[in-house]
Amino acid sequence: MQTLKYIAIIAHNTFRESIRDKILYNIVFLAIALTLFSIVLGEWSVFDRAYVIKSTTLSVMSLSGLLISIFVGISLVQKEIQRRTVLTLLSKPISRVTFIVGKYFGLLAVVAVHLTLLTVIYYLMLFVMNAEPTASLLLAIYLIFCEMAVVIAVALLFSSFSSTILSALFTLGVYFAGHLSNELLEQVRFASRMGEMGDASTALFEKAAVVIHAIFPGLYRYNVTSYVVHGLALPDMYLFWNTVYALGYVGVFLAIASWWFSRRDFL
Amino acid sequence: MKPKLALKDVSFSVEPGQVYGFIGPNGAGKSTTIKVLTGLLNFDSGKVLVNGISPRDVKSRRYIGYSPEQPYFYDYLTGRELLRFYGKLVGLDGAELDKRITWALELLHANKDWIDRRLRSYSKGMMQRVGIAQAILGKPKLLILDEPMSGLDPMGRRDVREAIQQLNRDGVTIFYSSHLLSDVESISHKVAMIVDGKIVREGTVDEITESCGVEYHVRTRKAILGEDLPQGVSLTGHPEEFVCEDDAARDRLLGYCLANGIAVEKMDHKRPSLEDILTEEIARADA
Repeated sequence: MQTLKYIAIIAHNTFRESIRDKILYNIVFLAIALTLFSIVLGEWSVFDRAYVIKSTTLSVMSLSGLLISIFVGISLVQKEIQRRTVLTLLSKPISRVTFIVGKYFGLLAVVAVHLTLLTVIYYLMLFVMNAEPTASLLLAIYLIFCEMAVVIAVALLFSSFSSTILSALFTLGVYFAGHLSNELLEQVRFASRMGEMGDASTALFEKAAVVIHAIFPGLYRYNVTSYVVHGLALPDMYLFWNTVYALGYVGVFLAIASWWFSRRDFL
Repeated sequence: MKPKLALKDVSFSVEPGQVYGFIGPNGAGKSTTIKVLTGLLNFDSGKVLVNGISPRDVKSRRYIGYSPEQPYFYDYLTGRELLRFYGKLVGLDGAELDKRITWALELLHANKDWIDRRLRSYSKGMMQRVGIAQAILGKPKLLILDEPMSGLDPMGRRDVREAIQQLNRDGVTIFYSSHLLSDVESISHKVAMIVDGKIVREGTVDEITESCGVEYHVRTRKAILGEDLPQGVSLTGHPEEFVCEDDAARDRLLGYCLANGIAVEKMDHKRPSLEDILTEEIARADA
């Protein structure tokens, strides 16, 4: 019980730190600007206007969440270490696991508020443009939130042992690998079936694709834009299983981050 | 690069109710020792107990307060917000927390006007006061302060010195490091001197200084030539002023004066200060 209280205190402070960070405002304003720009894109595009607005805005939500995780999230732990505020904090009766988990929930709250703000703007925009503001879009936004929950855990994991720049690069790498791993596996299998590669290289490429697919979190699962934009129903229990999937990865990443952080010396 | 052993055979014990000064030159291992005590640094071998618990156990930090050297805090917070944050982490809340914050600020003679300003506008002295205030909020049994007087003006030093003494009178055990040896001499019940990762002296200030013997300064009415000086006696640069390194040298000089009809005008005895002893220990370690 006491641990949960300490996690909440650290999360609250992390949230307060983040919302007083100028970088966050730059990202939020950029996201709002891009969301509004989707109206212009909808006018210019050869595709259906509602489709362009909806799909562009969902992509903006995902990418701005990624930017917050990288630019705000990674620096949260690094700043604590570089500015030595971690010395005072960890001398309190809190474990390092509590510190990492508290930081995580603080940043998750920032992303939740950011997505909520964009969602309100999104729906207002769709309503004003008369572009079918259906409730199913909320499912896509919820899955983006789940995706960000995983990405923040990845960012915290890397920032617990690596420098800011490397952590940012690693997190970006995991994000893109997570989005492309399924496609990579399908392409390699397709090429293999078509006989476009030699036997040896087929086996090697297929193994590599399987490993990448197995290790990296399958973030492609959280992109259901085409379903919701076209009004298609998601498979049964899709939200439930992908929530469990995200929780699993978050748990593993936070456990590794906490373990690593617990071993660190603070000079 | 070969890893350097930061602390070697460091062994000391701080009894409840003591003010324990930890002194040594830069890089001697003072902050390292403190970080081991607070669980911020792991140790490879040996045994460390804080209030009977290993610093590796979070419980050991339940009854300690710690202020690091040149404390730096979240500059996006005000001093009060920061104290509220740290106060909550030691289990305080509501009116009790506000009461403790007021008490801590009063104890440190902290000006209440600046406590509601953002920390980024604070001077080093203000930061040091906030650092100590956050450490004492939880009324710890053991207060660990790393260079609590650095960055403070003479008034600030006096305030911190008085706060340490008051806390100690209230039953708080205090372990602190400092470069300001005159302050250490005036407020510490016990002192440990660390040089090059080893504790070279430990005891009360009197025990340490007495163990180094007493030096005598003698002034005569007539000059004594250098070659006639008894063993253990040296000139100070003035032909009628001498320094005797111990009691025996003093006796030899007085015997010489008596035998040669030289009147002694003045004799002072001087115990070496902690600074003298520390300087000597550093020179010994360097040699």
